[in-house]
Amino acid sequence: MPETLMTCIQCPLSCRLVVDTGSGELVVSGNQCRKGEEYAHDEIINPTRSLTSTVATIFPDFPLLPVRTDGEVPKDKIFEIMDIINSILVEKRLRPGDVVLEKIPGTGTPLIATADMREL
Amino acid sequence: MEGGLQLVKKTLQSKGFPQVELSERRGAVVLEGEVQNWDDYLAAGYGAVGYGFRGVVNNITVSGLKNCFTESRPAVKDLSLDSSEFDVVIVGGGIIGCAIARELSRWDLKIALLEKEDDIAKHTSSRNNGMIHPAMAVKLGSKKHHYNLRGNRMYDQVAGELGFELEWPGSLALLTKSWQILLGPLAKRSARKKGLHGVKVFSRRKVKDLEPNIGDEQRGAFYMPESGIVAPYKVTVAYAENAIQNGARLFMNTMVQGFVMEGSRIAGVRTNRGIIQAGLVVNAAGIWSDRIAEMAGDRFFTIHPRKGVIAILDKKTRNSQKLILGRAQLNGRSHTKGGGLTPLIDGNILVGPTATETPDREDYSTSAKELQFLEENHLPLNKALKKDDFITYFAGTRACTFEEDFIVEASKYVENLVHAAGIQSPGLASAPAIAVDVTDIAVSILKKKADIKANPNFNPRRLEAPNPGKLGLEDRNRLIAANPSYGRIICRCEMVSEGEVVDAIHATLPAHSIDAIKRRARAGMGRCQGGFCTPAVLNIISREINSDITEVCKREPGSEMIVGRTKDKARAGYEN
Amino acid sequence: MKTDVMVIGAGPAGLSAALAANQGGAGVLLIERESRPGGILKQCIHDGFGIVRYNEKLSGPEYAFCDLEAVKSRNIEILKNTFVLDLKMKDSKFKLLLQNPDKGVFPVTATSLVAATGCRERTSRQVFIHGDRPAGIYSAGTAQNLINIHGYLPGRKCVVLGSGDIGMIMARRLTLEGAEVLGVYEIKSEVSGLTRNLVQCLEDFDIPLYLNSTVTKVHGARRVEGVTVAAVGPDYSPLFGTESYIPCDTLLLSVGLIPENDILEPLGLAMDTSTGGPIVDQQMMTTIPGLFSCGNATHVYDLVDHVSESGATAGSAAAGYCKKDCVQGEIEVKAGDNLLYAVPQRLVPGKDSVVYFRSARTMDNVLLQVEAGEKVLTNKKYIRLRPPEMERLVLEPLPAGLEKVVLSLKEAETDA
Ligand SMILES: Cc1cc2nc3c(=O)[nH]c(=O)nc-3n(C[C@H](O)[C@H](O)[C@H](O)COP(=O)(O)OP(=O)(O)OC[C@H]3O[C@@H](n4cnc5c(N)ncnc54)[C@H](O)[C@@H]3O)c2cc1C
Ligand SMILES: Cc1cc2nc3c(=O)[nH]c(=O)nc-3n(C[C@H](O)[C@H](O)[C@H](O)COP(=O)(O)OP(=O)(O)OC[C@H]3O[C@@H](n4cnc5c(N)ncnc54)[C@H](O)[C@@H]3O)c2cc1C
Repeated sequence: MPETLMTCIQCPLSCRLVVDTGSGELVVSGNQCRKGEEYAHDEIINPTRSLTSTVATIFPDFPLLPVRTDGEVPKDKIFEIMDIINSILVEKRLRPGDVVLEKIPGTGTPLIATADMREL
Repeated sequence: MEGGLQLVKKTLQSKGFPQVELSERRGAVVLEGEVQNWDDYLAAGYGAVGYGFRGVVNNITVSGLKNCFTESRPAVKDLSLDSSEFDVVIVGGGIIGCAIARELSRWDLKIALLEKEDDIAKHTSSRNNGMIHPAMAVKLGSKKHHYNLRGNRMYDQVAGELGFELEWPGSLALLTKSWQILLGPLAKRSARKKGLHGVKVFSRRKVKDLEPNIGDEQRGAFYMPESGIVAPYKVTVAYAENAIQNGARLFMNTMVQGFVMEGSRIAGVRTNRGIIQAGLVVNAAGIWSDRIAEMAGDRFFTIHPRKGVIAILDKKTRNSQKLILGRAQLNGRSHTKGGGLTPLIDGNILVGPTATETPDREDYSTSAKELQFLEENHLPLNKALKKDDFITYFAGTRACTFEEDFIVEASKYVENLVHAAGIQSPGLASAPAIAVDVTDIAVSILKKKADIKANPNFNPRRLEAPNPGKLGLEDRNRLIAANPSYGRIICRCEMVSEGEVVDAIHATLPAHSIDAIKRRARAGMGRCQGGFCTPAVLNIISREINSDITEVCKREPGSEMIVGRTKDKARAGYEN
Repeated sequence: MKTDVMVIGAGPAGLSAALAANQGGAGVLLIERESRPGGILKQCIHDGFGIVRYNEKLSGPEYAFCDLEAVKSRNIEILKNTFVLDLKMKDSKFKLLLQNPDKGVFPVTATSLVAATGCRERTSRQVFIHGDRPAGIYSAGTAQNLINIHGYLPGRKCVVLGSGDIGMIMARRLTLEGAEVLGVYEIKSEVSGLTRNLVQCLEDFDIPLYLNSTVTKVHGARRVEGVTVAAVGPDYSPLFGTESYIPCDTLLLSVGLIPENDILEPLGLAMDTSTGGPIVDQQMMTTIPGLFSCGNATHVYDLVDHVSESGATAGSAAAGYCKKDCVQGEIEVKAGDNLLYAVPQRLVPGKDSVVYFRSARTMDNVLLQVEAGEKVLTNKKYIRLRPPEMERLVLEPLPAGLEKVVLSLKEAETDA
């Protein structure tokens, strides 16, 4: 049966998708919006995730800065990327959207700050 | 005593224990042999009471019951106390040991209190109802009655000197049957004989007026105004701190493991930190007091633990009840105070306790069944309460002897040993009076050898840190202006400020663990049970005692809260 | 100090309320007991916030940042580290006693009060876990704070009890930060958080989920050494013979959130026992005139976007109240068949309203009906409803004179 069941994780609606690959092409049903279709395609061909974590800072009053990938990264690279994230040390007070890492090695995706380090 | 042994033998035979061997040792009856279960062990022990012996030493083994009991022992082992000398060594840092240390500190003596845990009041003295009983439920003529009544009368003064909170809400022993009201005159006469004042019989209407939420099945009550409430761990801390301020030394993580005997004297106290030379030893080891007696070859009683489970209700319930509520115990033979609903000095309501015999002395686990018992038996006394209001629950074990009375006396065979043992309920209520008597006994023994003088620097008032919550507005503002950390609330449920946590860490009796701070400053005791303040308290402890966050414990070493840090790799480069 | 509108809590609900009250022309004072505004979002560093409002998946701190910037740009006063010591009503005004490290204790009088105090987590004691109390038992939120704010790892081998969202999100965070999550145990027969969290937090990381099972005992005297887990029967009691022991050093609890309203309760407002929050109308006004509730203090929302919406509603109504432009809702909203609850519980006629509800159980192909007496006011079809997933419904203004409307869910006949 060339049919795959999955849950769309693009929003809390959590649509239950059915992906039919029988015809050689991907046919998605069960989605309530376009995002569901895109998600299903990606999930079959190249599953990606956005990754959120924290990086260390030199500021004792703000020891950890929350960060996220500005876009999705390959799911199977997540632990590699965590290794990179774990070795970053931020030495400037950043704000949301500020770039922490221009390009995460091995991906084209930037890593950005998501909190305001001046808000103590 | 041959005749006595015969009589015990006969009784045990009739109870179905012909296999139990009897002997006499120093006036006590010793039971040996094997029985099937713990109930039989207890039945045999109780069966041997009342034949003129000093006490029952129940050495019967229970088949299948392995010695696999819970007992916490200190992890440290060193010689830091080896060869140290003290006039008095007190074993046990519960309410009894701490009160004794304080009373003894009126004298010019070198005093050491040894406690096996990392903090005082970790056993029964923080696991009880906090009630100052009026001495009604105790038998006239017993030591329990004697000390309960005297202790009750001392509490106002002690609270004033040591600065702990005390209230006298009074208690109602509720009656479920209308005819029980007829027992009123009898109860009043008994109360008078026992030395109580102001005991009254209340009709259902009167009870309802006083306590509008009272359960519908209640027909009336006996009212006892002389029933008080305290926070038992705070009383213990207060006694201990005043003792330290008057020169006594407290050693935590120090466990008594035996004695070095010289004839009929204790010469040295063996501990995990070396042998301490002692002029006199006071046994205040609570649930283990029979073992301490045994170490000195002076065991004439047996402690069998009776577990009590207690639940604490959210503070928002406090306005639903004013008095201590319990059911009247009219059969008189029950070994418990019956339990009920006790308003707490800190603003919660306490439910319980239960009473179950258990072989395991430090097993404080609770079960769904016990909670259900509390819910079904005690909660309905106040109709405003629901099971949803439970914020926490825990257990304690009462140090009961088969004689069911306190032991407060000098050893008959060891010259320099005084027992304050078997102090079950109402031990908290009795503590001030027990401490005074033990001090008198100890001093009179010591006086035989040396001239003992009063401590010229004794100050009965405990010096303590400010309590912003108890200050008037202006004083509170002055305090916060001088030290803003008293204005920063970190425990939102109990409204505890950072300043108070810092004070607890640096107090006379320092609190360095999450639980110790909870007992001193109440941070983490509220409805969220530390969910919000734990990270802040961890950081404050780590900062104030200058230790790494991974070393901060919930209680004793081995109970570390944090196992490591994230992002070590990034920081490693920077910090080097 | 005096103010028109006082807002308690600077989480997303309080920030939106303060902003809306200010835009409505009222003088606003916003207080927050922590040192940083943002509420619980400060520690929710994962993404997924703001899908409705911004059509973007922001992280919690980013989402809070947007609102905070707006509040700052309008010079709304925020008092941080500020705690409510006492709250009373006098002459229909709110008299508060506040405390902070800078000003000490000081009184504030407010014409209207918005409580945006958020929620707290249910504790291990409240789910009646027995055993001693060793170190290593954390609520998921406390663990989240330790890891995300402080960088402290609470344990290395963890068992999670409860499949709430925070628990599943923390299972992923712990895994990413190097700890091992042995499994998530859920007493019910289905996961209690969002399905997307089941996929991206558990399945992505091969963390097993055990349904119909629970932790019955915690072992270890000092630090957690293990837990006993067991399968449960239909009445949630453990099934004899199914117990097994799992060595671990940490037990994380994600067993539910409770709206936090303790400071309000002394005022004697009516509460809804099924939401745990106050009874409100569509303006978020409680049964006490001038007292508003919003965000997770009213009921626990799934989406922060809706939390903000409730805050904005409360804030602008509070500003209206100060201008005497606010009446109390009197039409009762009843959560009828198959509904867990519905908020608001009261409606003012002649005004639009947003109604949130949860179904009492998982249902497929259902019809929601809003009825007033015999008359059906609205019908709406849903493909699937699950209790963890809250639904939002916009109701047309109701005619005056109604006493009660009833919401109910009916299963469509299956034709297979
Ligand atoms: C459920 C319950 C409810 C109660 N309610 C009340 C009440 O409402 N009112 C009341 O008056 N009484 C009440 N009681 C009784 C009261 O709590 C006790 O009588 C009192 O706490 C006993 O104090 P203690 O100092 O003798 O014992 P503990 O507090 O147990 O102290 C003994 C100490 O000795 C230490 N120790 C033991 N062995 C050694 C060793 N070898 N070396 C070093 N240290 C050692 C222990 O660690 C312990 O800290 C209650 C008891 C229970 C269990
Ligand atoms: C531990 C926890 C973790 C959560 N994690 C997630 C998650 O990962 N994802 C998700 O979608 N949702 C999560 N939620 C739900 C989240 O709370 C909501 O999405 C949203 O943040 C609620 O906003 P709020 O403004 O109502 O409450 P909060 O964000 O909780 O804000 C309430 C604010 O009020 C302040 N406050 C409360 N009482 C007082 C007082 N008496 N005086 C002064 N200030 C006061 C508090 O300090 C806090 O800052 C979590 C909730 C909790 C409790």
